[in-house]
Amino acid sequence: MADEHAVQQHHAGPPSSSGHPAGPGGPGGPRPQGGPRPPGGPMKRGKRNFVRKKKVCRFCVDKVDYIDYKKADVLMSFIQERGKILPRRMTGTCARHQRWLGVAIKRAQNIALLPFAAEL
Amino acid sequence: MEERQYDLIFICRPDTPEADIDKVIATLEHTATEKGARIEKTDKWGRKRMAYRVNRLREGFYVYMDVRSANGEVVKELERRLKVADAVIKYMTIRVDEELKRQEKLKRHRERRAARRPRKTVPASAPAAPAPGSEQSAAAL
Repeated sequence: MADEHAVQQHHAGPPSSSGHPAGPGGPGGPRPQGGPRPPGGPMKRGKRNFVRKKKVCRFCVDKVDYIDYKKADVLMSFIQERGKILPRRMTGTCARHQRWLGVAIKRAQNIALLPFAAEL
Repeated sequence: MEERQYDLIFICRPDTPEADIDKVIATLEHTATEKGARIEKTDKWGRKRMAYRVNRLREGFYVYMDVRSANGEVVKELERRLKVADAVIKYMTIRVDEELKRQEKLKRHRERRAARRPRKTVPASAPAAPAPGSEQSAAAL
């Protein structure tokens, strides 16, 4: 049936790539951290996704097997001014070390080596 | 039975005389020996500025102890003594033997893996270099 004037939605069908009919028109699949992509669809985010330079995990480089909660000076570089723990994408830490880091920071906070919350 | 290892840290009021702090340490040592534990190491860190106010104080005298024991009941007793002591304002006991065991295992794995790979540029200090390096970094971090 050569009905090509109106019935276009049956033709191509929803492509399985995006999976979502109203999703972004960029390359299909999940949205990886790739930095600013030429927006094929509407730019939903308010702020820009900066390309993060490739950060390596400091602990992996030094081959650390145990993050000591007693070393407040080391741990301090992983918390914000306000005392919040910095996310992995800021510090470049790998998942395993980030978990250990959280444990160590919490311990240090309990023993007053690091603050829980600090007023700016 | 595996021996457990605990990190015990307590903070005394900054104005307590050294003798009183030693008294607390002696009490803890005595209690530990009574319960069949032993204190491997005692380390006085001295007066440090605390990150937040504890009992309206800004500084405290930190003492660190390494306690080894076969069972865990000694910890309860030690903490009870610390709670009762007037000079002590904060204490924390952490069981670290599992973590140190894991640290050792990881280190061993890494060294074994490094040794298996033929390292042509590293001279005979190869077994020595990763070991103190990782030990140092493990201890430093």
